[in-house]
Amino acid sequence: MRELKLFLGPQHPGMHGNAAVHMYVEGDIIKKSYLLPGMLHRGFEKGMERHSWINNISLIPRVCVVEPDINEMAFAQGVELLAGIEVPERAHYIRMIILELARISIHMMAYGGLGSPTGNYTLMYHAHADRNTILNIFEKITGHRVYHQYIVPGGVRKDLPKGIEEDIHAFLDSLESRYEEYRDLGIENPSLLKRIKDTIMLPEEVVWDLGVTGVGMRSAVNKPYDLRKVKPYARYDQVDFEIPVSSYSDARARVDIKLKEVVQSISIIRQALEKMPTGPVRVPLGRGQSMRWTVPSGSVYSTVESSRGEFGYFIVSDGKTHPYRVGVRGASYPQGLLGIEKYLPGTRIDDAALWVDTMGVCSPEIDR
Amino acid sequence: MTNSMSNVGRINTLMGKNFSLIDAKIIDQYQVSYVLKKDDIHRALSVLKSNGFRQLSYLSCVDWPNDHEIEMVYIVMNWDEALHIQLHARIDRDNPVMDSILPIYPGAKYYEREAHEFFGVAFPGNPDYDKQLILEGWDDIPPMRKDFDPRAYSDKKFTKRDPKENFEVTDKTSKRPRQERREERANNLRTGGKK
Repeated sequence: MRELKLFLGPQHPGMHGNAAVHMYVEGDIIKKSYLLPGMLHRGFEKGMERHSWINNISLIPRVCVVEPDINEMAFAQGVELLAGIEVPERAHYIRMIILELARISIHMMAYGGLGSPTGNYTLMYHAHADRNTILNIFEKITGHRVYHQYIVPGGVRKDLPKGIEEDIHAFLDSLESRYEEYRDLGIENPSLLKRIKDTIMLPEEVVWDLGVTGVGMRSAVNKPYDLRKVKPYARYDQVDFEIPVSSYSDARARVDIKLKEVVQSISIIRQALEKMPTGPVRVPLGRGQSMRWTVPSGSVYSTVESSRGEFGYFIVSDGKTHPYRVGVRGASYPQGLLGIEKYLPGTRIDDAALWVDTMGVCSPEIDR
Repeated sequence: MTNSMSNVGRINTLMGKNFSLIDAKIIDQYQVSYVLKKDDIHRALSVLKSNGFRQLSYLSCVDWPNDHEIEMVYIVMNWDEALHIQLHARIDRDNPVMDSILPIYPGAKYYEREAHEFFGVAFPGNPDYDKQLILEGWDDIPPMRKDFDPRAYSDKKFTKRDPKENFEVTDKTSKRPRQERREERANNLRTGGKK
């Protein structure tokens, strides 16, 4: 059979973001494949060296478009660790609420994204409608829908607005009441199940070879390797939640884990809203001169559990007003680049989109 | 999966026993940083990997032009002990060569390609470290080096926009004081344009 070269993306309903998968196929079996990144390279790492610590707050959320809050959290945590800032207690809880709302929104988007490569568009519209409700809540809290610039070194930018708890509770209740419906629509749906069950399995050895973290890792190694539990940041050690795991990782298992994580996130937000103390939410960095604020020299690697795995910022300071170097470890680096090259050959063409969706490949954070 | 300072202590003695550390720093209970000699990096990574640090979290470089050196940074993680370890080693900046760590961590392949593209470090042992990854048709020094100036590059690379239209104010009447113009407008309204 003749070998053909095919391009999946960047304009394909199953391709997330501005990257393309190049593949050589025989029939519909992939023989060779690799990701072509670079269409969204904006030079953020260089840009961060040219802006002051505080100016950078407006740059960092743009590193990953669909999930900006983890960027802010990782950067803020790293700077706080370097500068030795103690964040107020209330700010920790607000951060947790923001991060978990963001996690629900991205899981919903990925779950809805499953609809487009499999032809189940109803699922996509429902999931995106729920994501929109979360964006509305974000708009009330931070003033922005997507790039919030809310979590800053020293706390959060502003306190929660009055009455936002009712909005959040109302959303969580409505999501919870429709949770079974969601499962029926998606992973319990027989037509979809045929496509995602036993497709693109991920054995445990491959996880360690690639360096995959997050949902992909937990679904294969059957251990709760989640940074929120392993090295708790914010106040994740003060709330009760479980890490869903499985020992057999196919597309269905990974989507199942994402849906179970949504339930855990709902419970975390409720606990955080309940346990949240009153008080200040931000410590001032410098007295009226935050643009000239300096950070002691050193290098830290600060990590946050994103929806796709370990998301890290490597920050080097030389004691001046600007960072000396900021390196971003995109969580989708292993599964996006090496995973597609090494692991996709042997599967079918339409499985490529399922890999991208269920493993979580965010091309903006690969390019930066 | 418990973390305590004892894990840090265990790694500290392990590293101190096996390697001549240039610098060691405990950042917090989840993170330690070591500065090693360039030749020790591969041995250190092997020792760490056999001690449970199975995941390579990050690989990158930091440019120090004043010292004529490039600093290689390797960050590995142990999920069971909840510990990140930074390994730093400095290499010559004018001829930056660092043997690939591909045999130890296969996941390093694309990190090394990126480091080559942005810092110009060569990684013999990695079969296609010098292939193009993100930057398309790059024709200057590696962009993440400190002496690369983005503004000078864009001035050299792209043509300056030359606006054909002249936006200078030529109508002298518009330079009259605002008060005067407002009065005239009010008069016009009142008298219908007649004096």
